[in-house]
Amino acid sequence: MTNRLFLGLALLVGTSTVASAQSTMSPNAPPPPPAPVMATTPPAKAAADMQAVLDAQAALGAKPIETLTPAKARLQPSPADGAKMVMRQKGMSTAPDPAVTTKDVAYGADPMQFARVYTPAATVGAGAPLPVVVYYHGGGWVIADVNTYDATPRLLSKQLNAIVVSVEYRHAPEAKFPAQHDDAVAAYRWVLANAASWGGNPAKVALAGESAGGNLAVATAIYARDNGLTAPLHILAVYPIANSAMQLPSKMDSANAKPLNTPMLKWFGNYYSRTEADQQDPRINLVAANLAKLPPTTIINAEIDPLRSDGETLAAAMKKAGDTVDQKTFPGVTHEFFGLGKVVRGAYDAELYAVAKLKKALLN
Amino acid sequence: MKLFAYAIPLAIVMSGSAYAQAMTSAEYVAAAGAGDTYEIQSSQTVLQTTQDPKIRSFAQMMIQDHTKSTAKIKMAALTAKVKPKPMLMPAQAEMLTQLKAETGTARDQAYIAQQKQAHQQALTIHQSYAEGGKNVALKMVATNTVPVVQHHIEMLKTM
Repeated sequence: MTNRLFLGLALLVGTSTVASAQSTMSPNAPPPPPAPVMATTPPAKAAADMQAVLDAQAALGAKPIETLTPAKARLQPSPADGAKMVMRQKGMSTAPDPAVTTKDVAYGADPMQFARVYTPAATVGAGAPLPVVVYYHGGGWVIADVNTYDATPRLLSKQLNAIVVSVEYRHAPEAKFPAQHDDAVAAYRWVLANAASWGGNPAKVALAGESAGGNLAVATAIYARDNGLTAPLHILAVYPIANSAMQLPSKMDSANAKPLNTPMLKWFGNYYSRTEADQQDPRINLVAANLAKLPPTTIINAEIDPLRSDGETLAAAMKKAGDTVDQKTFPGVTHEFFGLGKVVRGAYDAELYAVAKLKKALLN
Repeated sequence: MKLFAYAIPLAIVMSGSAYAQAMTSAEYVAAAGAGDTYEIQSSQTVLQTTQDPKIRSFAQMMIQDHTKSTAKIKMAALTAKVKPKPMLMPAQAEMLTQLKAETGTARDQAYIAQQKQAHQQALTIHQSYAEGGKNVALKMVATNTVPVVQHHIEMLKTM
C-alpha cells in the first residue's frame, strides 16, 4: 500500500506542477484515464471482405490499444497481420513479393534511424535512373514499424517501377514530438543526396505516407518548400493526421470504429506530445499550417475512420491555399485498409487510384 | 494532508483498474518464453528447406541463442515464483503456419520478414521489463538479453 500511495503522490505532484504534462518517456508509461463514455451511434458497417480482416485481427488476440502501455500496444497483432491470416486461409502466399528486393540502410546514428530501400528486382543495376518515392509508415508515432507497413511500399515499387524508401524513425514516448518530424526531414535530405547511388533520380521524387506517416509526408513537403530543398513532384497522403479538433464529424461517427477509434487518437497524443500545445503545432495540426505552393496532392480516406474528417478538411484547406488536390473517401472500408488490396476490394480500388496519380506525376 | 486525500483515491484507481501497467513478472516470463519458442520453431522450419548458407547459419544461431535465453529465464523465474509454460501466442502460431505453407525461396523470404518483425517485438518485451520489471533476477536476464536481440536486429538489417 505504501508503494501505491507514493505512486499516487508522485502522480499528483507531477500533474499539479506541470498542468499540461503528457506521459513520461517510458515504454511502460500508463495510458491516460478512459474518457467518459459518450453516447455515439455505432460506426458504419464495413464491407464483408474488410470485416474478415478485422475479424482475423481479433482472432489473433488484439486487445484495445487505448487500455495498454506503449510496450504492450506494440505487441498487438495489426490489421496487416489479420490480412495475412486471411490470405493464408485462402491459400495465397504471405511471403514478400520477389518482384521487389529490399535492403536496410542507416540514415542516422540511432538504431531506429534507418530506411528500407525497395527496388524493382528486374531493374537492379540497369537502365535509366528510376523515380523515387519516400514513404512514411503509420502507427500514431508510438506503435508499428517498417515491417508492419511492408505492403504499400512494396506495391508502389512494383507498380510504379520506382525505388521506394520506407523510413523508420524514432518512436514516442521514448522520443517525443518533433523527433519524428525531424527524422522525416533528415531522411528526405538523405534520399535526395543518395538516391543516385541506388539507381534513383533525385529530381523525380514523391512523398507518401499513411496515417501518422501521411502527416509526415505533408509536413516534410512544407519543410522542403521553406528550406529550399528539392520539392517533391507529388504528395500521397493516406488518411493523414491533419486536424487536432476533436469535434469533427468522423471523430463522432467513427468514435468506436476498428481498428482505429477516437480514444486511441487521445492515447497517441498522450505519448507523442511533450505538452498539449504540441497538438496545435502546425506540423501536427496541418490545417492551420501555411499550405500555399505545395505540390499536387492526393488524399485518400476511409469511410469508417475517425481520421476521415482530417483528410477531408486538409483537402479543403489546401484547395483554399491554391494547391491542386484530389481527395477521395472510399466506402465500406476502415483505417489501415490501404495496402490490403489482395483481399479487400475497396483497397484494390484505392491502390489503383493512388498508383495512377503517382504515375502521372513521376513518369512523364 | 489535503495531498493524501487526493492521492489515496488515485492509488486505488491505479491498482484496481484493468488498465495496463508495466509488465508483471508472469507476463514477462510468458511473453519472452513465447518469443523464444517461436524463434526456435520457425528457425527449425526454415532449416528443413533452405539452400541459402547465410539463412542457415542465422537460423542455427537463433536456435542456440534463444535456447540459452529460455534457460536463463527458467532459472530466474524460480525466484519470482512464476512457472514458465512456454506457449506460442496466437499471432506467433499463425506466423508459423504461414511459414510452413511456403516452399523454397519464398519460405526463406517469409522467414526473414517474420524474423524482422519478431525481433522488434522481442526487443520491446526485454526493454520494457528491463526498465520497469519488479523481480531482480528476471530484470537482470532482461537487461542482458537486450544487446543480444539488438545484435540479431543489426544482422537482420543486412539480410
